[in-house]
Amino acid sequence: MILGKTVRTLGEAAKALGLYSVAAMAFSSSLAASSAIAAPAPEAVASYTPMKPTPGIGMPVEGGIGLQQQFSKLGEYGEWIHDGVLMPIITVITLFVLLLLVIIAVRYNRRTNPVASKTSHNTILEVVWTLVPVLILIGIAVPSIDLIAKQYKPAPKGALTIKVTGNQWFWTYGYPDNGDFEVVSNMLNLPGQPTINNGVREVGSKPWDGPSHLEVDNRMVVPVGEPVRLQITAADVIHSFAVPSLWFKLDAVPGRINEKVLFVEKPGVYYGQCSELCGAKHGYMPIAVEALPRAQYDAWVLTHAGGVIDGQAQPAAAAPAGAPATGAEPAPAASADPGAAATGEATEAAASTAAASAE
Amino acid sequence: MVQAAASEAAPSEAAASLTEGRRSNRRVGLIALSMALLMLGLGYASVPLYRIFCQVTGYGGTTQRADETKAAGVQVTDRTMSIRFDANVERGMPWQFKPLQRTDTVTIGERDMALFWAKNDSDKVITGTASFNVEPEQAARYFNKIQCFCFTEQTLQPGEAVKMPVIYYVDPAILNDPDNKDVEQITLSYTFHVTSVSDAKTLDHSRTGG
Amino acid sequence: MATTAPEHFQGHVDHHGHADHDHKPSFFARWFMSTNHKDIGTMYLIFAIIAGIIGGLFSGMMRVELAEPGIQYLDIFARWFGATNPDFNSTLHVWNVLITAHGLIMVFFMVMPAMIGGFGNWFVPLMIGAPDMAFPRMNNISFWLTVAGFISLLCSAFVPGGTGLGAGTGWTVYAPLSTSGSPGPAVDFGIFALHLSGAGSIMGAINFITTIFNMRAPGMTMHKMPLFVWSMLVTAFLLLLSLPVLAAAITMLLTDRNFGTTFFDPSGGGDPVLYQHLFWFFGHPEVYIMILPGFGIISQIVSTFSKKPVFGYLGMAYAMVAIGVVGFIVWAHHMYATGMSVNTKMYFTAATMVIAVPTGVKIFSWIATMWGGSLEFKSPMVWALGFIFLFTVGGVTGVVLANGGVDDVLHDTYYVVAHFHYVLSLGAVTALFAGFYYWFPKMSGRMHSEFLAHVHFWIFFVGVNMIFFPMHFLGLQGMPRRYPDYAEAYQHWNHVATIGYMVMASSLVIWFINIAYAFLAGRKAEDSYWGEGATTLEWTLTSPPPFHQFETLPVIEEAAHH
Repeated sequence: MILGKTVRTLGEAAKALGLYSVAAMAFSSSLAASSAIAAPAPEAVASYTPMKPTPGIGMPVEGGIGLQQQFSKLGEYGEWIHDGVLMPIITVITLFVLLLLVIIAVRYNRRTNPVASKTSHNTILEVVWTLVPVLILIGIAVPSIDLIAKQYKPAPKGALTIKVTGNQWFWTYGYPDNGDFEVVSNMLNLPGQPTINNGVREVGSKPWDGPSHLEVDNRMVVPVGEPVRLQITAADVIHSFAVPSLWFKLDAVPGRINEKVLFVEKPGVYYGQCSELCGAKHGYMPIAVEALPRAQYDAWVLTHAGGVIDGQAQPAAAAPAGAPATGAEPAPAASADPGAAATGEATEAAASTAAASAE
Repeated sequence: MVQAAASEAAPSEAAASLTEGRRSNRRVGLIALSMALLMLGLGYASVPLYRIFCQVTGYGGTTQRADETKAAGVQVTDRTMSIRFDANVERGMPWQFKPLQRTDTVTIGERDMALFWAKNDSDKVITGTASFNVEPEQAARYFNKIQCFCFTEQTLQPGEAVKMPVIYYVDPAILNDPDNKDVEQITLSYTFHVTSVSDAKTLDHSRTGG
Repeated sequence: MATTAPEHFQGHVDHHGHADHDHKPSFFARWFMSTNHKDIGTMYLIFAIIAGIIGGLFSGMMRVELAEPGIQYLDIFARWFGATNPDFNSTLHVWNVLITAHGLIMVFFMVMPAMIGGFGNWFVPLMIGAPDMAFPRMNNISFWLTVAGFISLLCSAFVPGGTGLGAGTGWTVYAPLSTSGSPGPAVDFGIFALHLSGAGSIMGAINFITTIFNMRAPGMTMHKMPLFVWSMLVTAFLLLLSLPVLAAAITMLLTDRNFGTTFFDPSGGGDPVLYQHLFWFFGHPEVYIMILPGFGIISQIVSTFSKKPVFGYLGMAYAMVAIGVVGFIVWAHHMYATGMSVNTKMYFTAATMVIAVPTGVKIFSWIATMWGGSLEFKSPMVWALGFIFLFTVGGVTGVVLANGGVDDVLHDTYYVVAHFHYVLSLGAVTALFAGFYYWFPKMSGRMHSEFLAHVHFWIFFVGVNMIFFPMHFLGLQGMPRRYPDYAEAYQHWNHVATIGYMVMASSLVIWFINIAYAFLAGRKAEDSYWGEGATTLEWTLTSPPPFHQFETLPVIEEAAHH
């Protein structure tokens, strides 16, 4: 049975490969890729200096008692639901219960009310305190369900995809639409504490370093003001990718990807931390998201070996809709010979350059 | 309010009711025990039940599996869908594993093929199995695989590289599903895991593709 | 360890003319092979106190480490557990062992044994007019299985568990951290501990169900049972239906770890998220298992000290049944971040909010019970009033967390820690103390000091609020849970919480002094020392009750109260 399938597959494969003869393989020489895009985007020059975070923005504040300031539309909506709907309701309910307890303590103690009533039923009252909470909960559920629906709205056409992988105990960020380079992100070491990550500098040693425990050596850089499709997985155990100021939390589960749209409204650095117990250094794998305007994002992309600006090669590779192979969106029109083992080697080369992630 | 039970009841009667009570206790106890055992059984049964549930409903991003005859009967539409391919290996597995196309635009209803490439970087013979899922999750029940390297184990010799195909189509029913109306791109993701490692030089090649 | 109380029990002479039945077995037979529900209840309570002290010490170790950023004490704690020259990873691993042990001990070896094994064993037979539990010998097995489980859990702290000694998986034992992520026998010991105590609890549940269905005194119909008995009945069913699922899940973990199965391992077609579904299918009913007996205790106390029958008795009883039933269909609200589908998330959001309705019925019914009453602020009542308020605070934050969309910022932060400690540490534990002061003289025959009990309450109340209220702020600010170290911005409220811990701990000293006072100098307790408001059957017996009670079954008349 397996043999039969294999034969059939081989047949299919051969047929498809024929059709693919002009197909763009996403995995082609990265050098070709960068030269291909250099011409249409002359302003895109590889340059990047990490942004200095604004104190109190995208990070917790000393003695803070509320939600972190939000920098996404969903976050602002969620913040409104929490601060404007839930908090007032629960505060009123709690104070109401407290008030009733105080009234009881004052009016119905042994001195003021020596003879207890024997009332133990009041149908109307019981119906009221069943129905009123139901109505309150419906009131809460309307915006709450709406928020969930909005959170699950899929990314629009052409959205940039970034791949997030949780590892014990660091994050890697893959940029498949930007030439498939990968950024390895480690927490900066803490002065006066045992070394957390070998070979990583101490926090505060660069002018742009943010708070200790939250700053990393290589941030996850994203373009600002556009929906970014984050695809999250883990290489070993479950981690969770969380950035409080962007209203974002999604588990990184090994063996599968989870997907959610990240949208950052303003340029800035937004910090988060792993939010699922993942072993000894669970507390030492923070997340730093640096949101940059598109031009600066593109410039950052080009600082990486094999970095390609996403979407630019699209017109070149565009094929009529319905054609079996339209190629990858960022695909440079480098014609790899799909039949030969060379493809594998080219891929290998691409992979190895990609692996050498930017400093 | 509370009185001592009337003591006129004959001792033998009391003894009889006591043994009856014991028997009844045993019955209630056994019923309760059997409920516990039933729940224990359900706990284990949840593993296959969950798998079946995922396969039927696409829950958790589980793709559908279609055979040739089912695939042949699918109506091809004039609408397209972007498909993204994603490949991972679990930590410590000495394989490289990549899709040979990042994205592809397919006609909904028409079968298409994607190629993945894997290379064994170690000096051992390694057999791997791929787990997979589809995002957005609600699209999974419309994502049909006719042929996939993930259906079987893949064995790679030391240094060997292979290309592995996936033949799939997107069920046109997706166009009528309100949950999927905003879906612009479906991602098919694979993660390879080590199934076995051996030094044996000759192993049955059950892998597909090439 | 079970030797502090007996002398006081033995001092009692039965005056009801059944002296020939009341002779007690020898010390060993009485305390190690006990089949007497009151003795077993006492042993459970003493066991729970010991386990609570250990679990509380662990939380103290965590709070002292969290007093300021950086790692200050974990290295020392690692040496306590027997590590020699621990490297940084095994030092950090100690933190995970502490959080795991604290959670497991408090849930399985403190709250459950005290609520169910302790007060349940003691007072369910008394309140329904039964001479003992339906299966007295199984009762004994239940207790010793729990003890064995506890010993297994303690053993796990001293054997390798991956990056260091002990099981560092969190009480949830999520795969794959608990499988491929934690080599070494520690996690196996931990799983075995859950098996043992789980088996004990299932037997206990069968025992309670049978006792409550079959052993009620003549006239004690289901709708006349005291609410504490109702709460134990619902709790027993929750145990019976949820614990076997946990047993199955952790057995599969065990075989995944040791025998190469892949139930939760994606490499063999398994799914780690399935483990979470199974765990929380147990785990959510489990939180009701911990709180429902507390509801029952509070109902008894509120009625007693208001000198009024419980308001809306049937509503109260069926609210607990409703909470129990709905508790089985809301589990995935613990898993909002796992990447579930939109419809699933909406369903679990809606279903979870439904629980607020019967919970509200309970809160308002307690208030209505007191309304128009003639309240006496004796120590159990003060604790019960504290419970009602603190549980309300914990309950409303539960409504916040129920919202799947809002959970995106709050999941796995200190907000969650604050929420479940408000319902458990401040809810269940406050109910335990309320029950303790309510029934301690009945169990021991000696009155405690009301003054010390009030002082205990107020210091405890201030302390726990100082620990846990600031955690809401930390959670809203994004501080993740299960972290031994944190950014400087989180220092302020963490510092407050650590001071709060010390306040809370000092209140426990007063509690121990109070117990010592009662045994050394406490006045002898009357049969019904709380006066006319106490109307359930245990108050018709002497304090302490005879070794064998109700040899002649009491008859409950038609006009009986609730």
